Amino acid sequence: MMRLALATLRQQRGAYLGTFLAAFLAVALLAGGGLLLFSVLTAKPPADRFAAATVVISGDREVTLETVTKKKDKVKTKVKSERLTGAGMLPADLASRVAGLTGVTAAIPDAAFPLQLSTMTGQPIRGRDDAPVIGHGWQSARLTPYTLRAGAAPSPGEVVLDADLASRAGVTAGDSVQVTSKAGVRTMRVAGIAVPASGDGLPAQGALFVADREVQTISELAGPTAVGILTAPGADRTALLAAVRAEAADAAVLTGADRVRADLPGALPDYIGPISIFGFVIGITAFAAVFVLTGTVSLGVRQRLRELALLRTAGATPGQLRRLLGLESMLIAGLAAVPACALGVLVAHLVAARFRTIDAIPQQFTVRINVLVLLCAALAGLLVTFLAARIAARRAVRIAPTQALAETATAPGGGVLVRALLAVVPAGGAIAVLTFVPLGGPLGMGMSFVSSALLLCAVAALGPVLLRLLIVPLSRLAGTTGVTGWLAGAITRAEGRRVAAVAVPLVLMFAINATMLLNSALLGALTADEQAARTAAATAQVTGVGGVPLGTVDRLVALPGVTGAAATLPTRAIVAQGGKPEDYVAQGLLTVGSEQVLDLAVRDGAIGGDGTFAASSFLTEQEGWQLGDEVPIWLADGYQTPLRLSAVYERSRGFGDMVLPAQLVAAHDPRGLVSAIALRYQGDVPAQIHADWPALRVTPAIEAARAGDAQNQQGAWELMVVISLGFTAIAVVNTFAIATAARRREYADLRLAGATTGQVRRLASREAAITVAVGLILGMAVTAIVVGAFSTAQDGTFRLIVDPGTYLGMLGGVAALGLLAGALPTRLVLGRRSLPLVAEGR
Amino acid sequence: MWSGNAASTRLITMRNRGTAEASGPVVEVVDVAKSYPGGAGVRALDGVSVAFAAGTLCAVMGPSGSGKSTLLHCAAGLDLPDTGRVLLAGQEIGGLREPKLTEARRRRVGFVFQSYNLMDSLSVWHNILLPQRLAGVRPDQAWAREVVQRVGLAGREHDRPGQLSGGQRQRVALARALAGRPEVIFADEPTGALDLSTGREVLGLLREAVDSFRTTVVMVTHDPAAAAWADRVVFLADGRIVDELVDPTAEKVAALMMAVSAR
Ligand SMILES: Nc1ncnc2c1ncn2[C@@H]1O[C@H](COP(=O)(O)OP(=O)(O)OP(=O)(O)O)[C@@H](O)[C@H]1O
Ligand SMILES: [Mg+2]
Repeated sequence: MMRLALATLRQQRGAYLGTFLAAFLAVALLAGGGLLLFSVLTAKPPADRFAAATVVISGDREVTLETVTKKKDKVKTKVKSERLTGAGMLPADLASRVAGLTGVTAAIPDAAFPLQLSTMTGQPIRGRDDAPVIGHGWQSARLTPYTLRAGAAPSPGEVVLDADLASRAGVTAGDSVQVTSKAGVRTMRVAGIAVPASGDGLPAQGALFVADREVQTISELAGPTAVGILTAPGADRTALLAAVRAEAADAAVLTGADRVRADLPGALPDYIGPISIFGFVIGITAFAAVFVLTGTVSLGVRQRLRELALLRTAGATPGQLRRLLGLESMLIAGLAAVPACALGVLVAHLVAARFRTIDAIPQQFTVRINVLVLLCAALAGLLVTFLAARIAARRAVRIAPTQALAETATAPGGGVLVRALLAVVPAGGAIAVLTFVPLGGPLGMGMSFVSSALLLCAVAALGPVLLRLLIVPLSRLAGTTGVTGWLAGAITRAEGRRVAAVAVPLVLMFAINATMLLNSALLGALTADEQAARTAAATAQVTGVGGVPLGTVDRLVALPGVTGAAATLPTRAIVAQGGKPEDYVAQGLLTVGSEQVLDLAVRDGAIGGDGTFAASSFLTEQEGWQLGDEVPIWLADGYQTPLRLSAVYERSRGFGDMVLPAQLVAAHDPRGLVSAIALRYQGDVPAQIHADWPALRVTPAIEAARAGDAQNQQGAWELMVVISLGFTAIAVVNTFAIATAARRREYADLRLAGATTGQVRRLASREAAITVAVGLILGMAVTAIVVGAFSTAQDGTFRLIVDPGTYLGMLGGVAALGLLAGALPTRLVLGRRSLPLVAEGR
Repeated sequence: MWSGNAASTRLITMRNRGTAEASGPVVEVVDVAKSYPGGAGVRALDGVSVAFAAGTLCAVMGPSGSGKSTLLHCAAGLDLPDTGRVLLAGQEIGGLREPKLTEARRRRVGFVFQSYNLMDSLSVWHNILLPQRLAGVRPDQAWAREVVQRVGLAGREHDRPGQLSGGQRQRVALARALAGRPEVIFADEPTGALDLSTGREVLGLLREAVDSFRTTVVMVTHDPAAAAWADRVVFLADGRIVDELVDPTAEKVAALMMAVSAR
């Protein structure tokens, strides 16, 4: 059997090229996506700021909820947690208490807080790879340790910068810099330059040290965020740890590689976003890869029915043919897997590089090559190819041996009933997803993709049946374009299965990519609309590099002539959701003046008032809150406070799902700076602002300043579309090529009947046109269902096209590709080989 | 309707070309040689010269592999010879480029292939009309219907070739060649798959085309009885013309065949 498989492989090299290409690309995509996901899941913080400490006590870095359910006598405890964006604090006296323990040489409190550093000319400075600048008290320099390279330790009013920051800012000891924290903007003198054990600074954070006495004034932190413990060599670790744990009470006691978790979350590269992005990447590529591979393999088997029938006449049993096809496909996939893994590594690196440039993943992210992941991708490719071949073979080998004598062999078709059944399941799934999942929520995009994937499976299963409905009118239409059109119509009518097999990748290409593009365009447009509507009443917007301290805002909005102002502090807040803490984008809001500048479209209640908050209608419905409910809310540093729901608002897109008191956010968000102030004023307020705060920017109209997060998401999304467009386009070309390669004989027969090569070429283009039309109509149908449902879920409006430019672009692009892919292989097949040879199948 | 061996007065051999009618040969092959690449140096045709005069039925015979199909392909302009010239109605086709070659061929030539070469996705009827459609002429449907009738395919017009027997497919191929009323019909074993009476019917049809429409028919056959319908028989062996017979009878053909094969 193996010998026969090898022999047919060698003999029919051309025929297997298509399967090889599909398997090659599929495995490459799976390997690339797998490596990315693996790398992001196992990513380690690049350096440990607490390297010199034996033990680190950390304040809260996550919110943990415990739910206890009792079932009969079994007690089940479920613990769910959500990461904080800020850092919880430790008691101020913890360090001195720990310092007294035996074996401890020093217990050093560390307060870590984000800062905005800029030169005296107002140019913002960030660390290497755009890393944030983190402030600390000078004594915590020992925990890394940072040592002075030049200058001296900081006194109040002075800072020590790491050498990397200093060179970026172009300052040396004695120069001045501007430091903005939530406590305000101050000009500080550079007292010295410090460096860690190796290099000019740590990879993911720029360090700025202030005098220990000044930490609280600048950071407004009530206590340290961590305490690092240095021990004498040879101290009893177990006893020490036990003693530290006893003192630390609830706080986490970290050793070894875990110590790094005591750092400020913002100072560590954030891999949560990338995990979901790469999860999505692998979801899409895996679906497309499996879908395309299955289709290609079964098309390949169908093209060889005649050969199979010949083998049957030569005495092969159906079982032998099944084994032959299975073995062959494994050989092809196995051959393809090796170079595919190499390409997968390349793909992973390219995608990672692109994601780094658009800031969708941390700069420190590196692709880690794992043999197991590559093996899994190869195995998955092998398995899919094998299964697809076996399934296709099941039908194909039932072919009667006598079919070998017929001009073209046809396999008995899977009944309409079987196909309908196969289609009902995914179609039902798609309808369930579209009806029951709240597409307006954060899962909307992912779920709309899932439903279009399911619908595509249904289309693939029902292909030949759906096709019959479309082909008749289409081929009639083609018949009006002369003899080649008439012929194209007749052939496509007769060869419905082949047309379906070629059209399905076109459906996939259009539906998947159009859905992704249109849905994200819709979200973008809705967000921009809401943003504009929110701030329509404002006449100016004030922003500062990195943010504006609340104190500055207080004085700014009190300027004479200001009739209304709304300052927003972006943050994140956590609420419990069915026993699970869930993190949402929120805004601290400060409004003053008699005129309203920020219109959130409040549906119920009124925003503002002590101890209250407002929530978006989406979140309110999600949580089942009522106006007046008292809700426990965790702020960015893990501080929990009950707030009363005083208003429900509609315009939450690009803004956030909760509106909290500005003071509360400023106190508990590590950054705590106002991102923008929307103003209404009379008189020359801008001139006044320029005079008082030259660093602030006043823009007359409201620019829809998109949150950086949303921009990264958009960039990541676009890259995903590019990948899937590329892959599906190759699938389209590949399928056309496979289908055309098998038609050499048919084209030769046509030539013998008197067709010129020009006529055969025209015939091929008309057939391609019919196929493309079928693919696009089905693709448009799938897209319409998914985009329509998604759009209705967003704002109650049913839309099909969303963005005419994108829609027409997709239509035109897919059509052009299909027509080209249909026409080009024909030219090759029509090559100069002498006619009778081809016609006799030699 | 037809006698088994219609006496023809329009016999033209190469030797007495001088007495040829004014119209001259429709197809003329001059010193044609062809070998196939990879064919172990076998020359499929090795310097063949032969002319087929208008309105004659000529049979080509010879052992299997002697180059009969190759000769027909070259004469019909389907394949290009390595050396030598092929003239179709006086026009040298070696110099024609596509699509001129195809146009010339489909205007003047009908072909019945050894392997039929029908379009599987078209019905019998559409297959028969296809060459005329491709040529952009309005198909002569009445004539086509009569041809279908005569080859015994009436009632099968809407079937696909795949649904027909081998002999029926051969008749579709013949009907397709006849339907366009070409000047020349090349037929590669047109009766190879037919029973005696259908074979006779088909031969009669070809004979009638020759007699009534002055069509030239060149037919490959292994059957001496079929060859007896011809005005002239050309014998091929190892790519050369080794003999020929004017006004053949089945017995004479059989005897010559034996001689040729024995050589
Ligand atoms: N495509 C090809 N490649 C190589 N050799 C070929 C090819 N076609 C024909 N030949 C060789 O050319 C010679 C003549 O072949 P041709 O088909 O003309 O024979 P034929 O007389 O028609 O035989 P038959 O009566 O069996 O049909 C043979 O030796 C054959 O092997
Ligand atoms: Mg032959």
